[in-house]
Amino acid sequence: MKSPPIVPLPVPSVRAYDTPNDAGGSITVEWELSPVDSVVRMYEVYRLEGSPEAEPVSAGFVLRGTQKFQDNNLKDGETYYYFVRTWVGEEYADSRLSNPAVPSAQWFHTGRKSALVILLIYGGLLFYYLQQARSGKPLYIRKIAGLEAVDEAVGRSTEMGRPILFIPGIGYVSDIPTLAALAILKRVAKKAAEYEAEIIVPNFDPIVMTAAQEVVKEGFMEAGRPDLYNEKNVYFLTADQFGYAAGVDGIMVREKPGAVFLQGVFYAESLILAETGHSIGAIQISGTTSVTQLPFFIAATDYTLIGEEMYAASAYLSRDPLSLSTIKAEDVAKLGFIAVFLIGILLETLAAITGNQALHFFKNWFSLF
Amino acid sequence: MMRRTIPLIITFISGILLVFALFIPHKPFGNLEERFNDWYIIVSGFTMILGMDSLLLHHWNKIRRRQADWFHSAALIVAFAVTLVWGFYSGIKVGNPFDPKSTFLQYFYTYVFVPLQATMFSLLAFFIASAAYRAFRARTLNATLLLVAAVVVMLGRVPKGSGASVVLFGIALVALAVGLVLHGRSLVDLRGQLLAYGGAALSILAIIPIAKYFPTYLPAVADWIMNIPQLAAKRGIFIGIALGGIAMSLRIILGIERTYLK
Repeated sequence: MKSPPIVPLPVPSVRAYDTPNDAGGSITVEWELSPVDSVVRMYEVYRLEGSPEAEPVSAGFVLRGTQKFQDNNLKDGETYYYFVRTWVGEEYADSRLSNPAVPSAQWFHTGRKSALVILLIYGGLLFYYLQQARSGKPLYIRKIAGLEAVDEAVGRSTEMGRPILFIPGIGYVSDIPTLAALAILKRVAKKAAEYEAEIIVPNFDPIVMTAAQEVVKEGFMEAGRPDLYNEKNVYFLTADQFGYAAGVDGIMVREKPGAVFLQGVFYAESLILAETGHSIGAIQISGTTSVTQLPFFIAATDYTLIGEEMYAASAYLSRDPLSLSTIKAEDVAKLGFIAVFLIGILLETLAAITGNQALHFFKNWFSLF
Repeated sequence: MMRRTIPLIITFISGILLVFALFIPHKPFGNLEERFNDWYIIVSGFTMILGMDSLLLHHWNKIRRRQADWFHSAALIVAFAVTLVWGFYSGIKVGNPFDPKSTFLQYFYTYVFVPLQATMFSLLAFFIASAAYRAFRARTLNATLLLVAAVVVMLGRVPKGSGASVVLFGIALVALAVGLVLHGRSLVDLRGQLLAYGGAALSILAIIPIAKYFPTYLPAVADWIMNIPQLAAKRGIFIGIALGGIAMSLRIILGIERTYLK
């Protein structure tokens, strides 16, 4: 027996409002799903500009189960009305007209209040410790094994008469880990120049290559050995991920470096590089902020700079008081976070045990942001 | 002096503007990041020429000096030239070098480039095995904990892993019991023997709860390891990275960190 055709039913209500936290020119339309949503082909959103009597224009469509549509490229200050057409097969039903909505731009992103508060507190801490450093107060920074081993790795490589291989990863110069890697490269280059060792830097990105050439040159100049600098050793390899991995593996196998530095942004090629480095018996110091690659580096290399240790590297190695002050502020901020977590855990656990809702005040205060 | 000062001023203004842009959606701040990224893409497009220059010069020198494996460099330069010429030819003939009608590049991509990439990627399986072997050798308490956690997660997340876990842990416990019995036989003092035989008996008895509870609870334990201790450690690292990133950015914006400059 053939079932009767399903009649399209309109969406019960439509609401239009200025899209919050945007640069203007956008209205968000929301609706309740049609009672026959499961058989709806699509919801088509119509826009009426200026007045409810204006000619409707299709603004776009979404598939069934969707309750929101963002209409962009509108005129700020103009009034818009919307209705939603529910399509079932070739049949349709129109909803009532929405309320009028006027797009406008906002001067503050309310969704980023918490980020602003944290940034202000953290910024305050940074400036406080900068002032402390300027006044000449000594700052204690804990030892970082991976950075302590930099000189050892360069020295070992020199003793073995092998070159040093520095791999700045597959990040771009706009990535902070790549900039941190360049800071480490400078120190490695300086040490290599002092020991008269050869340093090879294959690059994934031409801009990083240009920056790396300058950094290595600067390192050699600081060591007083600009004559030893060889620009040809800092070169572009390829901008393809696995092509880069294959190229660097080839360099490792051919040149047999005594020390390998893997610093910067890494993805799936991290273990391929680190294991090849291990197979040639090089001392390896890795560092990345790619959390998914850290276990590979920890398993395959001798020393690993975990996350923020990499960012701390340039300050740690240069011992510049101003740079060190930012690390001090970072450590204090971390202490603050730990304290907040502990208080939160304690209060929430107590609330769960005692059933006292008042104890949720701490969590609720944070949810205000 | 000016060579450093002007870039530092540009860095400071750009950095501060982008910080403002994060909190101000209104024009002209709203799409500032997008616009800066567009500029970056334009600049990086031009620097590709620098990259090509570096690459070709590097390999040309290898050929010129007849360095070891120089023919690999020759292959690279030939492949580069052929791809470039064919790309231009396809661009002129078809209108787009990446058009499916541009058969050479399509053929090259499908039958050379993709298999080569897949080959490199597949090496990862072997490298994971060798790295895991080194990391999981139970020499220290940390390595042992890592080994146990890894085994539980692996068995808890693979099909039929729970059933296999009973067999694997059963074999391990039987081996432990045999080892303890042999050790006990080599001992002379009664207390030591009793401890060894008792341990062996306990190992055998432990097979019963493993057989009973592992198939039911192993996936839950694996999920717990992934969702609680693993995620907690990961989030800790993320917080450190975020704070470190802000500190590094401020160092760059304020001109304290300038290693990237000439």
